[in-house]
Amino acid sequence: MTGMKEKDYIESLIARYLNGICLPEEQQELKLWIEESPENRNEYLSIKDIWDSSRSQADRAEGQLVIFYKNQLEKTKKARILWVRYSSAVAAIFAIGLVISLLIPQEKSSRHQNMQVFSVPLGSRSKVLLADGTLVNLNSGSELKYSSDFSDNNRVVSLSGEAFFQVKSDSLYPFVVKTANFDVKVSGTKFNVCTYDENSYSSTTLAEGKIELKIEGSNQNFVIKPGEKFELDRKTRKYSLESADIESEIAWKDGEFIFRNIPFPELVKRLERWYDVKLNYSDKGLQSYAYTGRFKNQETIWQVLDALRLTSPIDYRKMTFREFTLIYKPLN
Amino acid sequence: MPDFDFLFRKYHRRLLLYSLKYVESESDALDIVQNIFVAVWENGKYKQSENLVKAYLFSSVKNSCLNYLKHQKIVRQFEHESGLYIREIEAIHYQSGEKSLIENESLKQINDAIDSLTEIYKEVILLSRFEGLKNQEIAVKLNLPLRTVETRIFRALSTLKEKISQKSFFILLYLKGLQKK
Repeated sequence: MTGMKEKDYIESLIARYLNGICLPEEQQELKLWIEESPENRNEYLSIKDIWDSSRSQADRAEGQLVIFYKNQLEKTKKARILWVRYSSAVAAIFAIGLVISLLIPQEKSSRHQNMQVFSVPLGSRSKVLLADGTLVNLNSGSELKYSSDFSDNNRVVSLSGEAFFQVKSDSLYPFVVKTANFDVKVSGTKFNVCTYDENSYSSTTLAEGKIELKIEGSNQNFVIKPGEKFELDRKTRKYSLESADIESEIAWKDGEFIFRNIPFPELVKRLERWYDVKLNYSDKGLQSYAYTGRFKNQETIWQVLDALRLTSPIDYRKMTFREFTLIYKPLN
Repeated sequence: MPDFDFLFRKYHRRLLLYSLKYVESESDALDIVQNIFVAVWENGKYKQSENLVKAYLFSSVKNSCLNYLKHQKIVRQFEHESGLYIREIEAIHYQSGEKSLIENESLKQINDAIDSLTEIYKEVILLSRFEGLKNQEIAVKLNLPLRTVETRIFRALSTLKEKISQKSFFILLYLKGLQKK
């Protein structure tokens, strides 16, 4: 049997097996090959997975949905008890990084003129409780300003950077967040605003309640509903209003870092802010990659870079104390 | 909060594709997916956040497929023994927390990858996976030896695998593991 295990033969054997035309003895051969090493097993499994995901399967959701409701209706009509078998499938969530580090607030609270300024340095986060009872989580490198006469009936703040607001409800006196690009007006809600100067986009995402948004220097007003994200291109002034993944948008406030399919340059920017480091890269090949991942912020930048190195074609070199160079090394 | 119809429309096709990993009969696969939605409807799980529901839907489809395989093993005790064994290896692999592309990637991304294949690879994938031709039929149609068609299919799949895995990375931080080093 071993003599037959040349690559070509195995390749066509797998193609035959996937096509469902293997003879029993060929299946046996494939089984032995798969068992031979973890590499073989993984190769087979990944090829099979590609095979399974690249096929035409007419979308029958609509028809099936009708069948579903018809069945449910019949069930209630005849009061039949349908025995539904389902497994208690609670997804195991891999807790990566188990301890949430408590950050010592490092905000500098200073008073100049009649403005109160909270600024959070790179690499840390902070919380601010405002006089009206509104709670603000501030992300790394953010600044929150408000006039010293901020009170229950004068609720205006301005923000650069990123913050998550849990606004104390008051329909008489709206809470206003001013940013360089837009103003957000609310009565009582939970929402995130992200408006870093170095980002090309500014955005706001609503978790609960309702917000009104007005773009700076225009008459356009938007009403944003829960689960939606408004995003504005700072240069072109183009905007989009789409449903968003709230969990990953606001995970940062709990010291978690969740990202789904974010482009490499964006990942680098975020890591730089979170860890207060400089990450240099020059290879254009990196630009086209997208990343998905999740971790707690108490990992060191070294651990994050090690993880990058293990899972993608990137190596790194330490340049100075807080400066790294990322090197692209494509898989061959 | 996601509503039930939205979830049904969004995930039905993917769950069906997933169960077709193990279940040859399409009507059985449709039943499995229907039952999962019935469960989600009746236990109210669909009211949870979409991420939780999605994880629940996929782990339910995994469990149902594993049960289906177990049942098949009893029904077809002597036939296709190694074939079932191979499927079992696969089921165990995904039960251990590994995620299938069907679960991770959008199907559009996979279709885009197929579109970007070179012509000879794209051709065999379209004939095999989208028109449902058997390898032998493809060989006749393209006037190629069967073995050539088969290695071509394999290599097309292998190229797709690279294309998809190069495009997105899952950064896993096994903190404990890294610290031990």
